[in-house]
Amino acid sequence: MDGNVFALRADAETRQIRFMTAGSVDDGKSTLIGRLLLDSGVLMRDQADSIGDDEEHLAALTDGLEAERAQGITIDVAYRYFETPRASFIIADAPGHEQYTRNMVTAASASDVAVIVIDASRVVGGVLKRQTRRHAAIAALMGLDVIVAVNKMDLIGWSQERFNDIETAFADLAGALKLSGVVCVPVSARRGDNVVRRGGADWWRGPILVELIEQSQGPASRHEAPLRLPIQAALRDVTSRFYVGRIEAGSVRPGDHVVLGPQAYPATIASVRVGGRPVLRAEAGTSVAIEFDDERDVTRGDVVAAPGVRYARSVVADLCWLDEAPWTKGRRYLLRQGTLETQALIEEIAFVHDVEDFSRREGASSLSLNAIASVRLATRDPILADTFSQSPGTGAFALFDPQTNQTCAAGMIREAIT
Amino acid sequence: MRLAYKTDDDGPVSGEAAPVRASARLERLESESVYILRELAGFERPALLFSGGKDSAVLLHLAIKAFSPQKPPFKLLHIDTGHNFPEVLAFRDLRARQTGLQLIVREVEDSIRCGTVRLSPEKSRNAAQAVTLLEAQQEFEFDALIGGARRDEERARAKERVFSHRDAFGAWRPRAQRPELWGLFNRHIGVGEHMRVFPLSNWTEADVWAYIIQERIELPSLYYAHERDVVRRDGFLFPVTSLTPAADEAAVERISVRFRTVGDITGTCPVESEAGNAEQVLAETLTATISERGATRMDDRANSAAMERRKVEGYF
Repeated sequence: MDGNVFALRADAETRQIRFMTAGSVDDGKSTLIGRLLLDSGVLMRDQADSIGDDEEHLAALTDGLEAERAQGITIDVAYRYFETPRASFIIADAPGHEQYTRNMVTAASASDVAVIVIDASRVVGGVLKRQTRRHAAIAALMGLDVIVAVNKMDLIGWSQERFNDIETAFADLAGALKLSGVVCVPVSARRGDNVVRRGGADWWRGPILVELIEQSQGPASRHEAPLRLPIQAALRDVTSRFYVGRIEAGSVRPGDHVVLGPQAYPATIASVRVGGRPVLRAEAGTSVAIEFDDERDVTRGDVVAAPGVRYARSVVADLCWLDEAPWTKGRRYLLRQGTLETQALIEEIAFVHDVEDFSRREGASSLSLNAIASVRLATRDPILADTFSQSPGTGAFALFDPQTNQTCAAGMIREAIT
Repeated sequence: MRLAYKTDDDGPVSGEAAPVRASARLERLESESVYILRELAGFERPALLFSGGKDSAVLLHLAIKAFSPQKPPFKLLHIDTGHNFPEVLAFRDLRARQTGLQLIVREVEDSIRCGTVRLSPEKSRNAAQAVTLLEAQQEFEFDALIGGARRDEERARAKERVFSHRDAFGAWRPRAQRPELWGLFNRHIGVGEHMRVFPLSNWTEADVWAYIIQERIELPSLYYAHERDVVRRDGFLFPVTSLTPAADEAAVERISVRFRTVGDITGTCPVESEAGNAEQVLAETLTATISERGATRMDDRANSAAMERRKVEGYF
């Protein structure tokens, strides 16, 4: 485990941490979320009343829409909010049943960290469930840090030995997936032990679940990357012209030398504004308005980048198919990267990932809902040749179906073909 | 324990005006909302729903920041139930004048007159707004309606998209929602369809108040403690107004209250409070034990699925 990943930040400012939860109902994921909300005090009296006082009904809190209850399935990702004295949290709660890959991919794209819940009482001989392997594989694919909540420890008498077995099994899994910084914590969501307050076993000296989430690093590391500022729009007043967008990677300062678009026109930043006020520096995640020292022709879809940026018209990417309608060979889809939309063609499926046994199936000719594949993709306009692991903000893309307007795939660039 | 906004002494937030720092979370929320609002630049006829309530006041403030130095490219739209507090309407008109944005008001009363809305004792004017809203959307061919709804407000909102697609009938189809990936919003709509856009999706009530303090955003006076005649019933404080007179004069009390939401007079209740400024309201919000809508909206309480049904019908 990388010790730095969980180093406490010294600053007193409260941070916002976005994390997702994965796990099946049986593993106690819903109970765990109910516990986080209840013990952090965010669950208010009227909401608590509606679920009853019984701890076992904590799970009912995450019950979804009437439309879902009527059909007995969970359709969609739900977002929930709680806070502690040190941070505020947004949970993207991905249901574990049907369409789970689609839900998990959606939730993961809105998260910095994944909390994977497993039922300790059902792990026999250190063999993890297929679903756990799937959840870990998707977390790895989407570049998330992973915290494993080893739940229902009360049912196995807080056996340190069995916890250690699970930890070892997960370490093997993480090794196979090249997941770094995975950490396990023994909890009982039902009793509330080691979730928001310490309890259960005196042998556990490590951080409890909420502390692990609080200490997770989040997207701060993006600040060090080279600048990527996709432009959303141009604004003007009588004398000046401002280009606005959100910094996806790196930082920007007045005086910085940058390049514009695939042609890499050089330009110099004259001013940077946040919320209408000039600033000396703005970092990744910040919405800014910038001025150049000179007249420039920049429009939505262009990227203001650090010199050295590369573009490509062909990339190798991992693609998660999210639409009910399967991929149609030869069809042109709309690709959105940053603020750019351009046509894209999937030229070849290299292989389909099996996210349970991690094997690669070659020779696939179709992609349907929940499939994850490595593909070669060509675009009409050049796109940033950033890989997802270097620059998640610009190494990611979405595909839209130009006929139905559905969002049909999530993509992560692995390699540019130049 | 809801102390994420800390005071300098690290203790619980007191009733005193506590200095709230511009926290990393508010910066992140503001940047996200500004980003979402700027995504609307490509729409031809977007409108921002502006009622004069606190969430829409925050939304308007963010819109001005997002498009500075230009004016936001939005019209303001208010669906008036005809039962709004005069202070709120005055504030609405004042903000429209100050910002120079065109304000369009459409009345539920007009929908009642032309027969598209028929009120029944079960159906409040608040719910009837959905019909009038869709009529206004069609009349002006709005392709995007921007609202201040938050996901923390209510269960049915927890699964709402930031860019929420509505078909040509204005209906929300929870099963057919588009996956929303990495903020790569899908802004595409077909003929006659429109988008509902929720820039405050990830804000909580406490975030909204902390931001109101940080940015010194003005609000209608109803949000702060004032003396008011009320009647206590079923755990609610019912305001006594000309529209909602007290059935029993003897039950009327005059106490210090404030409103947490300011919707339709006939369906919105104040809470007992001495909080005279935004700092004190935030302090109360952080220690509140009842959710915002649970405390103040009778129509939601009636049925946990009420909001979902109204959303399916086109409610905001």
